[in-house]
Amino acid sequence: MLPIVASGAIVRNYVMLQPHSLLWHYLWVAPCVILAFLALLMWRRGLHREFPAFFSYAIVEPVGVGLLYVLDVSPVSPTIYWRSSFSFLVVEAFIKLVVIGEVFTHLLRRYPSLGRIAKVTISSVGIILVFTATTIAAYANPTHFWLISATRILGRSVSVVQCGLILFLFLFASHFHLSWARSVFGIAFGFGISACVFLAHWALMADWLLGQKSYLLDFFNMAAYHVCVLIWSYYLLVPQKSATTSAVSLPENSLAIWNRELERLLQQ
Amino acid sequence: MNLAIVLVVAAVVALGIMLRLAITRSLQAKRTAGLTAAIHPIDVEAFRNLINPAEDDYLRRRLPAKQFRVVRRERLRAMATYVHMVGRNAAVLASLGQSALAGGDPRVAAAAQQLVNDALLLRRNAAVALARIYLALAWPSSGFAAMRVVDGYEQLSGTAMLLGRLQNPAVPIRLSALL
Repeated sequence: MLPIVASGAIVRNYVMLQPHSLLWHYLWVAPCVILAFLALLMWRRGLHREFPAFFSYAIVEPVGVGLLYVLDVSPVSPTIYWRSSFSFLVVEAFIKLVVIGEVFTHLLRRYPSLGRIAKVTISSVGIILVFTATTIAAYANPTHFWLISATRILGRSVSVVQCGLILFLFLFASHFHLSWARSVFGIAFGFGISACVFLAHWALMADWLLGQKSYLLDFFNMAAYHVCVLIWSYYLLVPQKSATTSAVSLPENSLAIWNRELERLLQQ
Repeated sequence: MNLAIVLVVAAVVALGIMLRLAITRSLQAKRTAGLTAAIHPIDVEAFRNLINPAEDDYLRRRLPAKQFRVVRRERLRAMATYVHMVGRNAAVLASLGQSALAGGDPRVAAAAQQLVNDALLLRRNAAVALARIYLALAWPSSGFAAMRVVDGYEQLSGTAMLLGRLQNPAVPIRLSALL
């Protein structure tokens, strides 16, 4: 038998992991407030000119999620809630794709020699991902309430595309050893984490694997998103430590070897 | 259900890759000083001989078809090793160039930018060449040209030397004496 205090803690944890618990309200509202505050600070620091798409996202997301929160806690019909949720998902997906494009543009700005191959490869990857997402959507298990199914299937398909694009972005930058600007990396990293978590979340939700317990996934999803908002705030607002960079020089031995090879070629 | 599990596994793998790349990025930023040791010298002339189409034609004429395919595969594997090394060197030089970009001297910055551009171009060409080499390994009788990689590498070496000369004027560069 559990001690009274321990069992009390278990009961409290169980209550906290219920929909409409204090934790549930916090995880839904807090990221929106932080993101709205981040948008305000971005505006004050002039970052909205540098990252207009992310700035738009930082405004639209709190408004949309806040509206859904109000609808959820107010006595409206489930149809109105799910219609709003579906519409917001469409808008959100569009803005997220624009933000990914913005990150890609910032990343490649200093590397004109990669411009063409980058455009070709990201277009190809995008087409493959859309085709994959469409195929996955075709294998969905719809239920009698089509609006919930449609929302979850759309969420899953959009997550496949977003997760794939951001993963490609990281792999592309890694292959070519591209250097990320701090803020651009922060945006991409936050979006990467949220895209992966959303993909897993929507994949389980779309197939109704957890049934009535699916709200537990919401907690995980909201907590992960909270972390992502904190990552964006950190990378966009906290200034980079000014590292004392000494002049990098190429090694003498390496230069000599190449020089010898070039001499031989010139003498041919 | 299977699809959901596949997608969850894919999401976890993708998250793992992103976290790993993020950690690698932060570590690389601290290790720039040791990058120069990662550059491996490459015998451009030997590579040029290896990809010379005339030598392939000669071997094709002199050897029976079966033996030619065996020899050709060996040459392609050696070629792949060279190209892989060229690509790695290009990546290291790209990182070095990006570190040098932070310097205040505009001449050094311009040379560093040129080095980065050339290195990235070469890394791209090396990737394409590697893909073509592996494709040629399946069909050893097909023709293949990797001359763009050699030309790119020569150009990159020249740019690297220019950057080195700008950063360390005291270091004697024999090419400058030759020119």
